[in-house]
Amino acid sequence: MNPTNPMDPTNPMDPAPALARVPARVRAADADRAAVPAMLAGAALLALLPAVLSPGLLNAANQMLIAVLFASAFNVLAGQSGMLAFGHAAYFGIGAFATIHAMNALGGEGLLPTPLLPVFGLLAGGALGVAAGWFSTQRTGVYFSMITLALAELIHALAPHLKEVFGGEAGVSSMRMPAWGLDFGSSLQVYYLTLAWVSACLALLFFFTRTPVGRLALGLRENGHRLKFLGYNVHALRLLVFVVSSAFAGVAGGLQAMANESANYVLFDVRLSSEVVLNAYIGGVGVFFGPALGAALMTLFGYFVSDLTRSWLLYQGILFVLIMMYLPTGLSGLLPWWRAHSRHQPAGRLARLAALSLLAGALLLAGTVLSVELLQRVFAQDYQAQLAAGQAWPAVAFLGRDWLPGAPSTWLLPLALLAAGSLAARAAARRWQEAGDAAPAAGDGGPTP
Amino acid sequence: MEYLAISVLNGLIYGLLLFMVSAGLTLIFGMMGVLNFTHASFYMLGAYLAYTLQPLTGFWLAIVVSPLLVGFLGVLVERVFLRRVHRYGHAHELLLTFGLSFIIAEVVKLFYGNFPVDYRVPEQLGFAAFHIFGTQYPFYRVLMGLVSLAMFGALYLLLTRTRVGIVVRSAIYRPGMAQALGHNVPLVFMGVFGVGAALAGLAGAIAGAFYTTNPNMALELGVVVFVVVVVGGLGSLPGAMAASILIGLTSSLAVGVDASLADLFGLFGARAWAEEAGGLLTLKISSLSATLPFALMLLVLALSPSGLMGEKE
Repeated sequence: MNPTNPMDPTNPMDPAPALARVPARVRAADADRAAVPAMLAGAALLALLPAVLSPGLLNAANQMLIAVLFASAFNVLAGQSGMLAFGHAAYFGIGAFATIHAMNALGGEGLLPTPLLPVFGLLAGGALGVAAGWFSTQRTGVYFSMITLALAELIHALAPHLKEVFGGEAGVSSMRMPAWGLDFGSSLQVYYLTLAWVSACLALLFFFTRTPVGRLALGLRENGHRLKFLGYNVHALRLLVFVVSSAFAGVAGGLQAMANESANYVLFDVRLSSEVVLNAYIGGVGVFFGPALGAALMTLFGYFVSDLTRSWLLYQGILFVLIMMYLPTGLSGLLPWWRAHSRHQPAGRLARLAALSLLAGALLLAGTVLSVELLQRVFAQDYQAQLAAGQAWPAVAFLGRDWLPGAPSTWLLPLALLAAGSLAARAAARRWQEAGDAAPAAGDGGPTP
Repeated sequence: MEYLAISVLNGLIYGLLLFMVSAGLTLIFGMMGVLNFTHASFYMLGAYLAYTLQPLTGFWLAIVVSPLLVGFLGVLVERVFLRRVHRYGHAHELLLTFGLSFIIAEVVKLFYGNFPVDYRVPEQLGFAAFHIFGTQYPFYRVLMGLVSLAMFGALYLLLTRTRVGIVVRSAIYRPGMAQALGHNVPLVFMGVFGVGAALAGLAGAIAGAFYTTNPNMALELGVVVFVVVVVGGLGSLPGAMAASILIGLTSSLAVGVDASLADLFGLFGARAWAEEAGGLLTLKISSLSATLPFALMLLVLALSPSGLMGEKE
């Protein structure tokens, strides 16, 4: 990780000169072209996955697929069109409720059998998107973000009171009915259903970026005013993009409802809206598959780490802030950056630099985890309850060792790890910069001003 | 009448509290163009720090020291984090503050647990200020209102009557020009960020004792404060005051209104139809009070795009 990372930022709200970004766009197209075979390989891999996974892990994989679709739908707005929406849970939630009501009303029979029901998520998300989008896309920048946030909060505050539609505290539940000779009783069949829907939707969204409208959306991000002068109806374009995004977010919600066989108004919570923002930007919004990558990694991260520690949300937040500060193009920006460097650097030097960076990362990670986990244990309620006045604090167990909170050595170790990690990170950053300076072309036009 | 008077009083005090938090936010927005998600976190930190300091220093010193600490933290956030990503644009800064607010909430949970802490008004302040319609009106509420009014007065005088205020206002409206004239605009940014954070911390230290102090208070208040700032007009202090009072009063008054849209239809003889239709039409206004600020914001933005008193778009 390099503070002077010479990558172009994706910078939705700043109408910077479009010329300065040409390399970024070329690179993005490059990465997208490489993404098609990667996508096919990924789909094949995901189709084979159930052979090796336990049912519990299969459910996690299912959640991952849904999060991937949600983040990709969000990115149509945030990454491709430069409109940072803060209330996408509304469309996800409405899609979930539409699907669950359709499951109850149709019983999975007739023209629309069970596997096709998420189409109601698409319709409901799209319909809400038309109404909300018409209003919010009249404005840009911070106002757009705030209007989307307010609309989502409006629905969130209203939903518990509309018991007929959203079922109050208990929510609405349903059953997956058999169709097409399948009973949808096992998590395996649900997984394949989700996989089919998510692959189809991702293909459609990818195709959308290749259509003239999709290309115009990029124009919206770069410079909406210029697009207006060119004679395009910018509001209609924004609205169209908004509806596409919300409709596919609705599909993701519908798939969630199918998987859980229930929906609750908690779906409208701001937590879900912020999760999709975190996921998308951790993965990187500049590339089509960036948000999908972020969502997949963070879902798996949540699945595995939330079993290990109560502070996993803290780690997620720290990761997000680090990425925002040092890797503005997200995790998906690492590959092109590495490629640019490897083109101009001798392999041995590059390997040494990478090793130093990894060492710094490992030291910082160890220091952070150690301090957070120790603090969490010391400040836990049950631990604090057993303290007696005047007596030394008893030891806490972590990693099979007893740590005395009163002993300085307990706290010196994480501090030393953090200090050594920062020193190594600083050294690594300086060397990366020297490497970049030695070969100015390495960073596609040098550091950002 | 009794209900109305007390609701108006409570609404005013709640509005004044909202102003204490939104004052800093609106100044920071006006100046840096950044909608700062950490601002409500500073409010929460003010409450938690005052709660922690109270046993050691006593109540009064705690509500003085805790805002200072929070203000220092605000300076750090601006200097260490925001300034670094400034070149990537406003969206990036907004996302960074969003991530930081996430971290602050989790750190608070780490130290204090995911439940409300027992931070309450000290005994000696628990008396009634006056009697109104036979009920006692707590002095502490009046104190909150007075602090907020004093803050408004001081900020207003500082911004309009002093040399520092002139520099700050010029940095708000034309940062580039102010810098070209030789003023240290980054320093002004850092100062305003710190003062704004300290004011939010003060609001938290005072209000946390009266309302509850829990790890969700930042999120709960934060969204309403955003609404206040947008309704008032981004960057406008009097606008923030007007919007705060407006939202405080509507939220407080709506809680007691039992009417629904069906009653409105009743005026035109369509009550039966409306009650049959149900849904939104039969919802009582009282249960909608949480949604009113957002509805108000959408209404204001539709009628007056830059808010009540905003000049910037």
